[in-house]
Amino acid sequence: MPITTTRRRLLAGSAAALALPAFARAQGAVKPRLTAISQWSAGSDGAAITALGKKFEEKGGVWQHSPVPGFTTEMMNKLRAQIIAGDPPACSQLKGPEIAAWSKIAPTVDLDAVVAAAGYEKVVAPDLAKLHKPGGKWIALPLQIYSTNMLFLSRRAMDKAKADKVPVTWADFNDLAEKMKASGVTFPVANGGTRADDGQKFEASLAGISPTAYRAAIMNLDKKALEGPEIKAAFAQVRKITNWMDPNVGAQPYATNLKRFVDGDMGMMIMGGWAQGVLRNAGFKFDDFMIAPGPSDNGKPVFLLNADAFIFWQRKEPDLQAGQALMAQLVMDPAIQTMYSQITGSIPVRTDVDLSGEGWSDGQRRTAAALKDAVANNQAVLSLAHNMAQENGLTAAMIDVFTEYVKNKTITPDQAVTRLAEAVEGAR
Amino acid sequence: MTDVVSTASRPGRRATSDVVRRLPEYLMIWVPLLLSAAHLISFSLWTIWISFTPSTLIPVSGWVGLRNYNSVLASRNWQIAFDNLLLFGSAFVLLSLIAGLLLAILLDQRIRGENVLRSIFLYPLAVSFVVTGTVWSWLLNPGIGIQKLVHDLGWTSFRFDWLIDRDMAIWTIVIAAIWQSSGFAMALFLAGLRSVDGDIIKAAQIDGAGPVRTYWRVILPTLWPITITVVVVQLQFAISAFDLVRALTNGGPGIATQLPALVVYDLMFQRGQLGRGAAAAVLMLLILLAVLLPYAAWRYVQRRQATHA
Repeated sequence: MPITTTRRRLLAGSAAALALPAFARAQGAVKPRLTAISQWSAGSDGAAITALGKKFEEKGGVWQHSPVPGFTTEMMNKLRAQIIAGDPPACSQLKGPEIAAWSKIAPTVDLDAVVAAAGYEKVVAPDLAKLHKPGGKWIALPLQIYSTNMLFLSRRAMDKAKADKVPVTWADFNDLAEKMKASGVTFPVANGGTRADDGQKFEASLAGISPTAYRAAIMNLDKKALEGPEIKAAFAQVRKITNWMDPNVGAQPYATNLKRFVDGDMGMMIMGGWAQGVLRNAGFKFDDFMIAPGPSDNGKPVFLLNADAFIFWQRKEPDLQAGQALMAQLVMDPAIQTMYSQITGSIPVRTDVDLSGEGWSDGQRRTAAALKDAVANNQAVLSLAHNMAQENGLTAAMIDVFTEYVKNKTITPDQAVTRLAEAVEGAR
Repeated sequence: MTDVVSTASRPGRRATSDVVRRLPEYLMIWVPLLLSAAHLISFSLWTIWISFTPSTLIPVSGWVGLRNYNSVLASRNWQIAFDNLLLFGSAFVLLSLIAGLLLAILLDQRIRGENVLRSIFLYPLAVSFVVTGTVWSWLLNPGIGIQKLVHDLGWTSFRFDWLIDRDMAIWTIVIAAIWQSSGFAMALFLAGLRSVDGDIIKAAQIDGAGPVRTYWRVILPTLWPITITVVVVQLQFAISAFDLVRALTNGGPGIATQLPALVVYDLMFQRGQLGRGAAAAVLMLLILLAVLLPYAAWRYVQRRQATHA
């Protein structure tokens, strides 16, 4: 008997799967269950997704999250194996253009109806929304947002340089760095030596010089823009930055140098908003540093978007389908986004969440305000260094150029422009 | 016991029962051998096939000819990796050979505490390459390692920053690899030294040869088969080196210390370009074959000479 029921349910589920209202029907009939994989296993990321799982269970669901710790690559290898085996998870972490790339290798769930019902599209930055509906239909949902070009200022280094003005443009930034250098801050720019780090230096420079050029060259790979004067200017700015950095970092992560940054031995750090959480977890106080949007030559904030997301894979089991519907509702819910971002230090995807209340930091408020301004001025662009602007193959080819340029000071900006254009050509 | 007697008396049944008796041995040797050979060959063939397909995130069928090979060969990453392999391979093999031989000769002087020293020199082999790479990345980091130590001791103009110097960084991998595997060369050479016939050495001494001359003219020439073995083993390590580099420099500074195995991994798993990654893997296989085929041919000639003699 139990076997027949399951089979009947399965049949009903698969027939209904073609139409979206199946979600609602399935939800009523079975206990929602969600199989999910992500790389979030420890720290604030692990805590946040565990909290999300609790909410899922509170709503009567069965939460089956299998974290794959380590690099995103490992998570992707697991996902690839499951897809090839014909057993994808009901939802998995995936971000940026990889959503479009992966959606071609296995069927995904059409989320248009749930998204429309929640009125979600109005409150998501347009460029971000586009990434999650590659074929014109929503198949993935963004979870939280970081900006990769926040400017962190060491309070002690600022005191040393007797400076109190937060730099707005790259010229301000360069002046302040010189001032810090002259007043005994050993390295005016705090840095790590990872590939993403080197990539962030470039994207922050270019987007700050001209978000329009960034969009054309990096996001749309326009050949003329790739060889344009803004790219050369960005490489020249990166060269200035590298001259203020500690060359002894090898391939260490930026976090290794946080103490020197707080101590005022290093002055400014261009890093994603997640550094705030890392600084706080390392025991530093909000008084030790300041956070502002990264330098922007037109004075209005430029926001380099980095967003984590969940993609939903098609499953025939009605309980998994019900789980997907429940998960989608939760991820879009402002209260859930608030809970999630308050744990990780990111900002909510929804631009209509009020961050003035308890539980938000100044850094998060400033980031959210910057996003709103940037969206209003069409200056919110997608981060290349964190795999939001291009697929991984192209991203890696471009970052090869940036990381070589950062590490090799004999490469001139002109040579770098040529190499970047060649790398893009070679990887396409 | 009775079984042996009865089979001995009947030669016809002896052969079959011999097979039965030795069945466990055959199973032990042939099943794993065939399985691993099938594994190796089937996956190699599969990789070769993938290298001619337009596969990206997952394997797909299709035919793109040599496109993947052309794009890998034209990429800066591969060119740098190949140059590095030539430099790293030759420097590492040569230096680890010299270091291993020197250690073996020194240990061969019937000194006290030989066992302890031998264990110490062999010990790095027991450490995984990831650990070796990580530890050396700290030692060689100018900000926290050897350079800092010497600075703190008072010699402030001392510079040892190869790890962050893109021209010298490849040598840090050579250093760590030699530290790890010269013990292996030492062990093989020591065994070789010990198997030299004592009479020959005595004869050399009676003829009036000093210790240096004895080693150079009498003992070392007997070691060359071992030398070739060491060279081949070390070369194939050099060609497939991955974990050491990943932990020590991760291909950096920039992409200055790329090696072929890193390029393969990067293409396949980080850039999602299975076809190109497979092409790079096949190129690596070709390099390996360039080393192993002459070695196999040499072994074959050796054996024929031995049987004819």
